[in-house]
Amino acid sequence: MTAASLHLELPKLTADAEALRQEVRAFVAGERATGRLPPPHRVGLGFDKEFTRRIARKGWIGLTWPKRYGGQERSALERYVMNEELLAAAVPVGAHWVADRQSGPVLLKFGTEAQREFYLPRIAAGDLTFSIGMSEPESGSDLASLKAKAEKVEGGWRLNGRKIWTTNAHHAQYIIVLARTSTVEGARHAGFSQLIVDMTSPGISISPIVSMANEHDFNEVLFEDVFVPDDALVGKEGNGWNQVSAELAYERSGPERWLSSFRLISELVEALGPDARPSSLEELGRLISHLLSLRQLSMSVASMLQQGQSPNMEASIVKDLGTKFEQEAVRVVRNIVSAEHLTAGGRAERLKALLIHAQQYAPAFTIRGGTNEILRGIIAKGIGLR
Amino acid sequence: MSENRSFFRDTVERILADTLDKADIDAAEERRLLPAALHDALTENGITLMLVPEDQGGIGATLGDTAEMLRLIGDAAAPGPILETIVGQRLLADAGLEVSPGLLSLVFVEDGPQLPRDATQWQQAAAYDVPWAQAVEQIIIVARDGEGGRLIVSQAADWTVGPGADAAGEPRDTLTATSLPVTIALLPDYDAALQMAATLRGAQILGAIQWALRRSVEHAGERKQFGREIGKFQAVQQMLAELAGHVLASSAITEAAAEGQTSGLVAAARSRLGDAADAAITISHQVHGAIGFSLEYALNARTRRLMAWRDDYGSVLYWRRALGTRFNTLDRETFWFGVSDAGLAA
Repeated sequence: MTAASLHLELPKLTADAEALRQEVRAFVAGERATGRLPPPHRVGLGFDKEFTRRIARKGWIGLTWPKRYGGQERSALERYVMNEELLAAAVPVGAHWVADRQSGPVLLKFGTEAQREFYLPRIAAGDLTFSIGMSEPESGSDLASLKAKAEKVEGGWRLNGRKIWTTNAHHAQYIIVLARTSTVEGARHAGFSQLIVDMTSPGISISPIVSMANEHDFNEVLFEDVFVPDDALVGKEGNGWNQVSAELAYERSGPERWLSSFRLISELVEALGPDARPSSLEELGRLISHLLSLRQLSMSVASMLQQGQSPNMEASIVKDLGTKFEQEAVRVVRNIVSAEHLTAGGRAERLKALLIHAQQYAPAFTIRGGTNEILRGIIAKGIGLR
Repeated sequence: MSENRSFFRDTVERILADTLDKADIDAAEERRLLPAALHDALTENGITLMLVPEDQGGIGATLGDTAEMLRLIGDAAAPGPILETIVGQRLLADAGLEVSPGLLSLVFVEDGPQLPRDATQWQQAAAYDVPWAQAVEQIIIVARDGEGGRLIVSQAADWTVGPGADAAGEPRDTLTATSLPVTIALLPDYDAALQMAATLRGAQILGAIQWALRRSVEHAGERKQFGREIGKFQAVQQMLAELAGHVLASSAITEAAAEGQTSGLVAAARSRLGDAADAAITISHQVHGAIGFSLEYALNARTRRLMAWRDDYGSVLYWRRALGTRFNTLDRETFWFGVSDAGLAA
């Protein structure tokens, strides 16, 4: 690939996808009307097990999976549309987000038939929360340096190690851990495997990590001689790196990479009204132009995924630009709020609370799921450098 | 890609390869010399009439196809009033005026002269920043007024030309006339005409940005310092990756604008291209180092055009205000509907 091949085609959204959009909007409006889901005061994915079950009853978890595993066999573009609607409304999808986006698809692609039959219908029913066990205290961007180790024992594996920044480990029933299962001389990325670990296994301890936004999403998870049975190995022993790389492509191109700050912009628009000064309109217009561009880009990438292409560089660009946009949005909203005195005198309290929280949360946007510097390394390679 | 578009693209690529080289660009900038072979070929192949409907003697191409041609023309840094002629001919055709094969110049003015519809003379006429006034046959001034706008059509030869230039060195002249013969036609929708020109200039900007990225990546792979290609350094890789992001995002929205032609998409494209152009100028020159600053190096033929073009047919700030005004009357729930409705899919 080179710089010359940086070109996208218009996304192809079907009538079915647009029908689903209206269905999701009606569902969200219904939820709002009950008073159970007020517009949020915080950015980020909320966690609500009951809401996840209501989403599951609509058939919206595992939407693209085969029906025999509890899915609906809808297209990836329909899933894209559903997700952007749910994220823009900022309803709490945190309890199933990782399982729907990553863990389920990994099992579908690499798992055994028994694993698919056991886990996928339960994920689709909204019963299971999954965590991802990748980062370690000494292995962040340099994931291949990780030290978690699973040794072969009778009937399974003995897992030792420490995973960190593990979102929702304290809620999860399962975690898919990336650990070293063998060593291949001179091949740094060989010898890793993915294991599904039951969080109730003896030897697991979870310590909370409270974020600077004063929230408990992250954890550190310690594995001490945890027994993992043979049938919990995902895919081939030693193929973990390839499997994880495939997983990261799903993680990088979705609308969650540019919609984190969206509610903040909505609340700004609500508070701003028609009498805004020209400089505020210019700042807002610029922000919206980036938002519309990112959305066109993200839809195109979803469309390419749907057609069976592997737009890895484009997905990395979505995440690099999207997360920078999320941070930029916080700065722009702050400036407009200040210029227009929008929160003075006790006005626009939700906007005020969101703005404080978004500022605290914003540093994470360009770190989680691969730092922007790592992503730009991938992009540089994609355009023919390195 | 449609069959038509492939055909147009092959034609324009061939014309550009056959008729334009760096010496022609230099001559246009230094001596106000129009690259005649290029414009003759574009005219002979009907490209200058591509937006005019077939029954009025044109090709009747879509705006999407035309934008793709302008992207190639921007990529090549081709000088001359190409966009002006293509849009001008279409406006003449829409107004029921005679389409002639010659070149046109075009300017949009928000506060134009208040001439009566049946006026045939414009006293103390003046027009500013008129591209290539001495190289064209007719000059079209598109003036906004209370009812939409009007086209003020004049013969270039009737004006007195005060030479000026844009950042690329291409002519943008000040025109005056004590009593100018004019033909005036009503333009029902000034904004639609402005959007058409803005979209095509956007495509031209995109082409120049794409060229700048491509050349910068090549340069980073050739130029050695500290014993290796500068593209091996992470600092350089990070800059070029950032520029690649600007290129991809602005091409996504520019193509959507050209296909969809909604005012929201056009405004978004020109606002987004403003940031992409700024980044392209900064990053491509930084990667090139001193050599890019030399007038004879081809990079600045693109970057100086970006400087000239980014605020054409509505400045970056104009389009941002337009977009902000579209959205700021929405509320916290309808804002998202506005965003998603503005999108375009095939």
